[in-house]
Amino acid sequence: MSNPWIAIGALAVVGLAIPVSMMVVSSILRPSVPEQGKRATYESGEVPTGSSRQIRFNIQYYMVALLFVIFDIETVLIFPWTVIYRDAVTEVDMTTVLVPMVVFIGVLVVGLAWAWRNGAVRWVRSPRATKGADTYE
Amino acid sequence: MLQESAPLPEALANLLGLDPNSTLVMILMSLIGAAFIGSLMMTNTALAGPWAKRKITAAFTDRIAVNRIGPFGLLIIVADAVRLLSKELIVPEGVDRPAWDLAPLVIASTALLGFAVIPMGNGIQLADPEVGLAYVFATASMASVGLVMAGYASNNKYSFLGGLRAVAQNLAYEIPLILTGASVVIFAGSLQMSEIVAAQSQTLVGPIPSWYAFVNPFAFVLFMIANLAEVGRNPFDIPEAPTEIVAGYQTEYSSVYFVLVYLGEFIHIFLGGAIIATIFLGGPAGPVLPGIVWFMIKIWGVFLFTQWARSAVPRVRIDQLIEIGWKGMLVLSLANLMLTAVIVGVIA
Repeated sequence: MSNPWIAIGALAVVGLAIPVSMMVVSSILRPSVPEQGKRATYESGEVPTGSSRQIRFNIQYYMVALLFVIFDIETVLIFPWTVIYRDAVTEVDMTTVLVPMVVFIGVLVVGLAWAWRNGAVRWVRSPRATKGADTYE
Repeated sequence: MLQESAPLPEALANLLGLDPNSTLVMILMSLIGAAFIGSLMMTNTALAGPWAKRKITAAFTDRIAVNRIGPFGLLIIVADAVRLLSKELIVPEGVDRPAWDLAPLVIASTALLGFAVIPMGNGIQLADPEVGLAYVFATASMASVGLVMAGYASNNKYSFLGGLRAVAQNLAYEIPLILTGASVVIFAGSLQMSEIVAAQSQTLVGPIPSWYAFVNPFAFVLFMIANLAEVGRNPFDIPEAPTEIVAGYQTEYSSVYFVLVYLGEFIHIFLGGAIIATIFLGGPAGPVLPGIVWFMIKIWGVFLFTQWARSAVPRVRIDQLIEIGWKGMLVLSLANLMLTAVIVGVIA
């Protein structure tokens, strides 16, 4: 049995070579007619105002990302348990294997319920944006 | 027979009568195998992107779509490739240059990586590491980085919102996806792709095979829904939402960069299909036809499903998307995981 990561590395090389070769072919084929007007970013036909990096956006994106970090680490901890679970049940007994994970997931569910109650996963709408549109919900 | 056969590079080395213990031989054979897998997926994508997608959407909306060039309009693939590659690349003002150039590269190349461990039948599997499933999930979620780069670097407000939406969506549905995948691992007892496929080779009841889609249909449905969100198809296509934010993160991309972003998206749909086929539909298993044909039928089935959803299901709003993900899918997938553990524990 050879090292499988050689093959995976080879696919990484191929996966990089395909897009790069397309970029090279395209750079040979395509014309280049620089012109001020067409370089403007698209803003529904209007003259663009300001930079996109100065716009304000919903804080909820940050809250959701923060929540994700917690649950993503949790999945890392769950994976080894799922691999050994079946063998462990036959060797030891079911409660010894299952109860710690139930407690662990229970703690997470309590955390999720807390975040839920505090509105971390409820989308915040600014009153100005939803003025006149409060018919839904 | 299929599961016992060696991975593709070793099989190639044996076929050519070379020594599979030499590292140089293995690197060469791996490159050949990788080129084969890469071109196989590129062919699928070329068929799906410019042609099948149009034909399917047209059939749903009672139109004809491409039919002028070649039989069934198939040569549109060549025409589109030439047309798109020879378009002028317009670099918008104020783009964040290295990131803007790298994003399409990241999106396109990471999507291909996942196929390294997928068993496609007839011994076509590039590598079979023990961490198989975890590796696939890791590579599948790397595209999010490319989407954020594209959204941020484009200096366009629509792109920026699209990038934010894409990452919020991928984060919300990543965890249900992985947890549902973990419930399959409880059944199979291994992360290795070949073992997960082998575990599904018995029969369940009568002629029905013990594919995990039949063993645990609830997990299968959850996974299909989370997968729709991961590949960004309706009802979860808000990162692109043409009626709201033009084209999302790909608004400012033209020429070859647009091709790469588009390509990455389609390879991603096929990767999602390949994961579903492997962990829920018995991989390349199936009667009469060879394994590779069955595998292709399965991943095209999943592709057809995403296109069906795209044509038939309305789009959810961003607040609904987050609530469905965090309040619905996450709770259901945790319940599924625990229930599966209890059931497997009682049976075993």
